[in-house]
Amino acid sequence: MRSVLNKILTAMRGGVNELGEAVVDGQGNRILEQELRDSGQELSQAKHELAALMAEAASLGRQIRSEQDSAAKREQNARKAIEAGQEDLAREVAERIVGHERRAAELTQTRTLLQQRITSLKDRVQRAEKQLADYRRELQVVKTNERVLRTTAQIDTNINSQKSSLGTAKETLERIRERQAREEDRQTAGATLEKELTGANLDEKLKAAGIDGEQDAVNNVLARLKDKPAP
Amino acid sequence: MDIQTLILALSESTHAGRNFDVMPIAGKEPVLQVTVSGADETPVYVTVTDTQILCLVYLFDEQELNPERLHELHENMLRISVPMPLSSLGKTGGHYVVYGALSPTSGEAEIMQELVTLAENAIDLLQTFEDYLA
Repeated sequence: MRSVLNKILTAMRGGVNELGEAVVDGQGNRILEQELRDSGQELSQAKHELAALMAEAASLGRQIRSEQDSAAKREQNARKAIEAGQEDLAREVAERIVGHERRAAELTQTRTLLQQRITSLKDRVQRAEKQLADYRRELQVVKTNERVLRTTAQIDTNINSQKSSLGTAKETLERIRERQAREEDRQTAGATLEKELTGANLDEKLKAAGIDGEQDAVNNVLARLKDKPAP
Repeated sequence: MDIQTLILALSESTHAGRNFDVMPIAGKEPVLQVTVSGADETPVYVTVTDTQILCLVYLFDEQELNPERLHELHENMLRISVPMPLSSLGKTGGHYVVYGALSPTSGEAEIMQELVTLAENAIDLLQTFEDYLA
């Protein structure tokens, strides 16, 4: 991953990407994709092998148990033969027991070797999985980078062909300020209009001119009360 | 979410009181220019890839900046990038950009939220960094 990131940064410092050119060239990309495929294949092959070995180990386990069971059964037979004084028969059974035990020992040895292979193969699978994830991440960075470069190159071409759509940051800021001023004006105008509609504006003007409708009404009532005292 | 679905979704929807004006950018890559109402000055460019939906707004070009204060500007951009909602600051070619990346499985609401936030963030950033322009 570090090598890919470094390649991208080096290329960018050199200004390679001004025209939206691929930073890690198509060849590099194909190599990465090939590595991804190879890793994927290795992984699936290793998993296949692993599954086969594990099945074999399980089968060996069953065979070992079967030999051990047979040996145990024969031991009982041999004891009975000895109890019955049939020494020759007991010897014959004992030979069989030796056979079962030998096979069990051989199978166990095979299984131990098999388990070592399984352990190392599991290791390989894990490594391949990590490698695959690494390649995928790298490829994603490379592809995203190229996409961004191509996209921005396309936007630039487009903007340059119709100058009006995006100018300098200063022009943009000017337009933002104009819009913000317009919005402020609209808000002020809205507030003024609301005042006029509710008559609040007129009341304010009257008050400012020393004409206070509310105060006048109170004064009128007081004068009326004074004119006509209660009967 | 592909670009066609996005065009249809954006042209017919409003989000948080905003409309979206969508215009495909001519060329090989599927790129949209989305203008968010109320933030018309900072159009958002959207491109959809297998791994992400990338939305970006151009802030300024390197030639527009005061070279003596470049280091200070970079420092401030890095610092402000972390707390800024949904957007990060970056540079592509000579352009300084503010951008956001979404999962391709994002729904319309998330994309619209991103577009509105990005366009508004771009305006705030331009006004914040105005002093660094040459």
